[in-house]
Amino acid sequence: MPALFSEGFLLGLSTGFYCLASCLPLLAPYIMAEGRSVWKFNFFIFLQFTGGRFAAYMLFALLASLAGQAGQYALPAWLLPAGLLVCGLAMALLAGFRVTGVSVCLLRRDVSPFFRRLPMLLGFVTGINICPPFAAGFLRLMELADIPNGFAYFGGFFASTSLFISPVLLGTPWLGHRANDIGRLTLMVAGIWYMILGLKGLLYLY
Amino acid sequence: MEATGSVRGRIIAAGIFSLAVFLPVFFLSAQIAAREINRLYPLAWALFAAAAGFAIVYTGRVSFYRRIFFAVSALAFLVHFKLGLLNKIFEASCFKDTPFCHIALAPNFLIYLYQQYLAFMSGGWKLWGPLTLGAAWLFVTLAIGRGWCSWACFYGGIDDALSALPRRPLLRMGRWALKLRDLPAALLVFLLLVSFANMLPVYCLWLCPFKLTEVFMDAEPAVHRLQYALMMLALAALVIGPLLTKKRIFCSYLCPFAAWQAFWGRLNPFRITVDQDKCSGCLVCASACPMTAIKCEPGGKAEILPYCNLCGECLGACPSGGFRYTLFGLDLAAAGPAASLLTARHVFVFSALTLGAVFSSLWAPAALRDLVMLLR
Repeated sequence: MPALFSEGFLLGLSTGFYCLASCLPLLAPYIMAEGRSVWKFNFFIFLQFTGGRFAAYMLFALLASLAGQAGQYALPAWLLPAGLLVCGLAMALLAGFRVTGVSVCLLRRDVSPFFRRLPMLLGFVTGINICPPFAAGFLRLMELADIPNGFAYFGGFFASTSLFISPVLLGTPWLGHRANDIGRLTLMVAGIWYMILGLKGLLYLY
Repeated sequence: MEATGSVRGRIIAAGIFSLAVFLPVFFLSAQIAAREINRLYPLAWALFAAAAGFAIVYTGRVSFYRRIFFAVSALAFLVHFKLGLLNKIFEASCFKDTPFCHIALAPNFLIYLYQQYLAFMSGGWKLWGPLTLGAAWLFVTLAIGRGWCSWACFYGGIDDALSALPRRPLLRMGRWALKLRDLPAALLVFLLLVSFANMLPVYCLWLCPFKLTEVFMDAEPAVHRLQYALMMLALAALVIGPLLTKKRIFCSYLCPFAAWQAFWGRLNPFRITVDQDKCSGCLVCASACPMTAIKCEPGGKAEILPYCNLCGECLGACPSGGFRYTLFGLDLAAAGPAASLLTARHVFVFSALTLGAVFSSLWAPAALRDLVMLLR
């Protein structure tokens, strides 16, 4: 198992730059919009995001191993575009609420557990986003067809790719009201973008 | 703010100023344009820039004459490059080469950095461009900073000229004008990240209204239609927006380079500063500012936002003359006979006008040549 962890870790190290590019458009606007000048608070957002990614990776490890055991690919094709659509919608809604100042209970940060956990959803969506290194890992697990080994492999992959994403926290201690304002508008634009991508993906399927 | 002093003194000062503009503009324009066309065309362009400089110093009206110069430069670009692309009526020349679009520089900056890194690591020195394009941008930023958007941008001239046409705004944006003022900065952040993630010029493909073509767009019909609709929306913001609101809608709300330059423009020392003692909170300056870069509540004090691009419109608009050009908020302490010329205002106008005129000599003299040939 440690050997498989190292294998996943090395795969992540060699392709982490790609993960950084994929995750930044989702994570950076959120941190800009909702982050504070308190480093710990932003780190908590980052932890939630990585938690979402971790959940997605473990889910994939399970699915890939099961698919390997069953000898077939088990992932529904609509999952990623639907995830992007939901994620984009949530981002745009949150940003719209913040920019307009409309007070709706469901959307209030202190009230709604859904929006308090939005970073987790963002992390999950980036986690299920199939990129070439991720697909390589997925194929490896299908070949292994062993659930504990699958968890170890994707655990290693997750650990090393998280190292690449962590620099997103570097500038956050200087976040102020102005950065928050810009971040909210960025979040809205990014939300609309991901909604379009999700819809486009679903339209291709049906 | 109108010029003061005797007529003779103003003529002498304006003459010296225009000569100072004319000489570098003619020398450099001739160097650039003489490869292809007769030197008379750069001479005409340099004389035009010098005349604009003369008028600014003689009358003291910065924005009015700046706008004439700026609009003519943008029109010349449209005539020479864009119309040339559409109907091929003019002779081919090196000026027909696609110029590198400065607007694309901002949203694609991370891709550019990555490509330069690859070129650097692979020893492909010929592909390594920071010494050319990067140096040109740095020079412009140090010389005029945010002034680029009101003095030299060949696209901004269209927006600026159109915003001056209506006598009064037909549409007022109200509180949304300031609420959405950070949209270009948000677009810039988003485009930097998404372009980098996809390794594609997302802004150019999805939003740029200046490409005036659909050949770069997605082949898939639904995406193609969406891209086309967004391009038309941006074009409407460029052309119809200023006519309705008297504001530079595209430059203020959709141009990522404006946000980029607003950020890096801090490196440049020139500022427009408001004298708070003279401010009565009448809001005239906020209404007059075409870039929505002045924040002021009724009866409050005017605050200049980082998006100010030093066009000088507020200088003429303020009834108590409370606005002035400064260097980091300070006036130039010049004495002697040249004191009237060595002000922060004149130093800035000289830098901006000269740089704008030299830069536009890449197309303006050639556009003049095109028109002469067309009339023959």
